[in-house]
Amino acid sequence: MQAKKLNNGAIEGVLNEFLKDEQHLVLGFEKDKNGVSHRIFKKSLDQYSFLNPLFSTNGALFLRRLFAKGMQIVLLLRPCEIRAYVELVKLTQIEREDIIAVSVDCLGTVSTKEKIDEIPTEAGQLDAYMKETDKMRWACKVCREPRGVVGDAGIRIDKNGAFWATSYTEKGEGFLSMIEGNLEEAPKEMLISEKEKLPKFQTNMDDFEKDFSKCIMCMNCRDMCPVCYCIDCVFNGDEYLPKGDALLNKVFRTGSTNMPQGKELFHLIRMYHVSQTCVGCGACEEACPQGIPLTKYFKGTSERLQGMFAYMSGRNFDEAIPYLTFLEDELKDVED
Amino acid sequence: MEEKTNKNPEIIGFACSFCTFKASEMAGSLRMKYPDGVKLVQVPCSSRVDPAFVIKAILEGADGAFVAGCHPGDCHFIKGNYYTRRKIAALKEMFDAFSMKDKLKLFWVSAAEARRFVEKVTGMYDEIKEKKNAGKKA
Ligand code: SF4
Ligand code: SF4
Ligand code: SF4
Repeated sequence: MQAKKLNNGAIEGVLNEFLKDEQHLVLGFEKDKNGVSHRIFKKSLDQYSFLNPLFSTNGALFLRRLFAKGMQIVLLLRPCEIRAYVELVKLTQIEREDIIAVSVDCLGTVSTKEKIDEIPTEAGQLDAYMKETDKMRWACKVCREPRGVVGDAGIRIDKNGAFWATSYTEKGEGFLSMIEGNLEEAPKEMLISEKEKLPKFQTNMDDFEKDFSKCIMCMNCRDMCPVCYCIDCVFNGDEYLPKGDALLNKVFRTGSTNMPQGKELFHLIRMYHVSQTCVGCGACEEACPQGIPLTKYFKGTSERLQGMFAYMSGRNFDEAIPYLTFLEDELKDVED
Repeated sequence: MEEKTNKNPEIIGFACSFCTFKASEMAGSLRMKYPDGVKLVQVPCSSRVDPAFVIKAILEGADGAFVAGCHPGDCHFIKGNYYTRRKIAALKEMFDAFSMKDKLKLFWVSAAEARRFVEKVTGMYDEIKEKKNAGKKA
């Protein structure tokens, strides 16, 4: 891999230079006394952090319906965030034109719901912390792609904790050219390596109903999912989830019902709708007030369904979302 | 899901109006019989079927559902059924993940294939009825 080694402060210098332009922004992480969180930087970087070991939500969520022209935005986010961004670009929810998406190697994250005092953001210390803690989110333990290998460019971390910048697209090359120094061969082995795939997800309706029995249908999981982008969600009207009069009419028609109604309906339909675009980030589960194991189901189902088409959400810009394309000669045995 | 008292299954079929639905009409005019429990919903193309329709049908009490359209290559809209094939293949995989794969089927039935239509839906009906009644006794 040809990359540029980043000396201490190099990237901050580059980004600060970039931010001098009024029309330029950077979406990344800020570390302050309250922890680490997303921040859109304007003018200059302040308390910038490459790594964010605290997961509150998937940052691609903030980019939906972003069609701004004439400005430039650099994203420096976790791989699952950049992957969700890539999917949203394919779904024409984001105009890619003015965005440079850079994925940064991710050492795993802890939920912001956890009570922790101090968490390191320096690569070596964080790596040690994550190896030790039992608080790493399940989504991260089984993350399919924690490496900064997606988007326009990537920031990789080597075994000594040094950062390397490399590019994957023309835009990425533009980003790389802002960084001083020459391209050199980066070490083969990096701090984090490719992950193994989870075994094929298998469940049944009884376990599913049990796991979701405490769901209160607040739909936070939908609202915080980066790739669940429909403005006219089918669950907003009365057809799928009747409310008020429509609900009572239905009860008169079909009989008594457990409340809140339509849990399995809601989750199964959403699961199908995001099945090719889900990046397994677990933002749904983070948003859930009831501790429902959403990631297990959404990630499990989506990886299984993506596998049918050798697809991986957000892996690259040019792979079409499987439901939006087809091959004439395929799936011969689907017919009954 | 509500307890079902009757042992005769109900099956919801989403049928393309250019082929399978025509075949069902022809079956009717030829006085071929297929089970009462098979209820058809006419759609303008099999690709109009959002898998949400199928999931809703099943979760609201249908014992099975099928999506039926023209044979691949024969779509009235040229390529609609190729999309159907992908979407329903994935939906079947999802049903499989939830251990209910026999509740969903995909049929290709052209407008001329009244007999094939009757055979397919009757076959599905009988299969589900057998399982349902076996389940009842156990
Ligand atoms: S899901 Fe993967 S990329 Fe996302 S925060 Fe966890 S380890 Fe990082
Ligand atoms: S369904 Fe959950 S895991 Fe999948 S992309 Fe949405 S928030 Fe992330
Ligand atoms: S966030 Fe949790 S409680 Fe709310 S709808 Fe989703 S699963 Fe149910």
